[in-house]
Amino acid sequence: MEQKITPISIYIGLLGLVTLAFGLADIFVWAGVSPGLQVGIIEIAGDDFFRWAWGGFIMACAGLFMLSGCTRVTTLQQSGKVVLGGALVWLIAGTDIFALLCAGIPAEEASPAFFNSLSGFLAGFAPPYTPAMVLLPFTLGILYLIRVRDADDS
Amino acid sequence: MVISSDARWEMVDAITRQTVTYGTYKQTLGDVLGDLTVKPLTGIPVAVAALYAFWSIFTSFAGTLVTDGFMVKLFDGYWLPWLQSVWPDPTSWHYFIFVGNPAADTCFEAFGMLTSGLFVSIGVVLPAVFVFYLMMTILEDSGYLPRLAVLMDSVLHRIGLHGYAIVPAILGLGCNVPAVTATRILETKKQRFIMMTLLALFIPCGAQLGIMMSVLPDLVGVVMLCLVVGFVIFGFVLNKVIPGENPEILVDVPPYHWPVKEYVAKKLWNRTKGFLKEAVPFVLFGVLVVNLLYLGGVIQGLADLLEPVFVTWFGVPKETVGPLIAAFLRKDLAIAQLSTIPMTTYQTVASVVLVTIYFPCVATFVVMLREGWKQLIAAIAVLFVVVFIYGGIIHAVGILLGVA
Repeated sequence: MEQKITPISIYIGLLGLVTLAFGLADIFVWAGVSPGLQVGIIEIAGDDFFRWAWGGFIMACAGLFMLSGCTRVTTLQQSGKVVLGGALVWLIAGTDIFALLCAGIPAEEASPAFFNSLSGFLAGFAPPYTPAMVLLPFTLGILYLIRVRDADDS
Repeated sequence: MVISSDARWEMVDAITRQTVTYGTYKQTLGDVLGDLTVKPLTGIPVAVAALYAFWSIFTSFAGTLVTDGFMVKLFDGYWLPWLQSVWPDPTSWHYFIFVGNPAADTCFEAFGMLTSGLFVSIGVVLPAVFVFYLMMTILEDSGYLPRLAVLMDSVLHRIGLHGYAIVPAILGLGCNVPAVTATRILETKKQRFIMMTLLALFIPCGAQLGIMMSVLPDLVGVVMLCLVVGFVIFGFVLNKVIPGENPEILVDVPPYHWPVKEYVAKKLWNRTKGFLKEAVPFVLFGVLVVNLLYLGGVIQGLADLLEPVFVTWFGVPKETVGPLIAAFLRKDLAIAQLSTIPMTTYQTVASVVLVTIYFPCVATFVVMLREGWKQLIAAIAVLFVVVFIYGGIIHAVGILLGVA
């Protein structure tokens, strides 16, 4: 019989809780509960409805998906929910990184050059980061589940 | 030679034995993810996330990287000053038509055919449409779009449409021209008419979105909210008022798969080429006609005539009447013109919403005409009524909130 709680279940459960908390924090900061939040390398600016309210809602849903799938996580149905939750975090983090990339390629408006210098480009990737970007490496553990499922499917 | 029925069945069996293999079905992770994205509880957050990614990539690539990063610098820093220096006689009519305002510092303010016209079509709209079609193609080819159609089916049935109406609705955010053509996937005349009317009214095209992002980035959300609310309300009303059927659909949902890059490239090229051929000439032609109408005093005459309606009923300043009339030719340029007029936040939102729900642009008008002149006339009649009512409602809400 499939074990209900395993180390990976605990890991996914904790990840889900943190993701949910970050999602709610994004929304609350946007709603004005706090003027903006910076803890270590994590920053929630909360200045834009689209990024923080809409993006926060998606992060909160990602957390809920992970939490709902964390028990018996190696079963197909449950791992599907966890992978979906992870995919939502990858999507938010991916768009954040893509936005940094797009902002870093052109030179500043006042500069006569078209392209940014290499140091200027790299400086754009310095901390602080959004919560989704910080969570990104931790969600890579979900790739293990996908590998397990792929091995089962083949 | 006559073959008996039994002989035919034997042949079928023989072919089947050689060509068909049987096995047991085993559900995969891809199947589970496929199911989760059509169930409302999990599918709606995924749809919200897909739209988020769509919009985020659209603004980062088209807005931040290409238009603001390179095109503005190229057109305002090099192209405009060069044209202003080489074009003879800044007081002449040809200067006004081709280069525009001689005192302009940016291509947005110039309104000439070779300044604003080229900047809008190449610098703003082309990157927006390119990245839009790229993402649209990836959604289609990965198998997500049919799932979105299934998910949206029950919602869209309430406004007389079915799930696949999401295709022209999303296409319309790129350009209304292919979107009007895509309404053919809907079964009945009633559905096609509702979709075409709603497209012309409430779906801003990529050109408009690109300009809105450039000139009023903080208000795009409010404008979009007004349009979504209008889409739902008037869709519901049209469904009740217009006679006709609203049949169910049977959708074949393919499994998720990685898009084949050759197909993506081919589709992207065909769609972008279609846009370049059909829409870009209209941008340049639109600027030419608008400038000619300004020169001939036609827009001023119409503005004087319609001023009481716009100022009293819609609550927008009289300076907006000219751009609102010119919006028939180019909605994107009309928004750019509006951005130069000093207005309150309410007036900006109201006038941009009016530009969007106003008459369809010439290119869309021509394609709608191709779909049938009776439908076009009916759509325009509905459009006038909706613009009048919805514009009045927005003004009333503005007065109630104390912002108008």
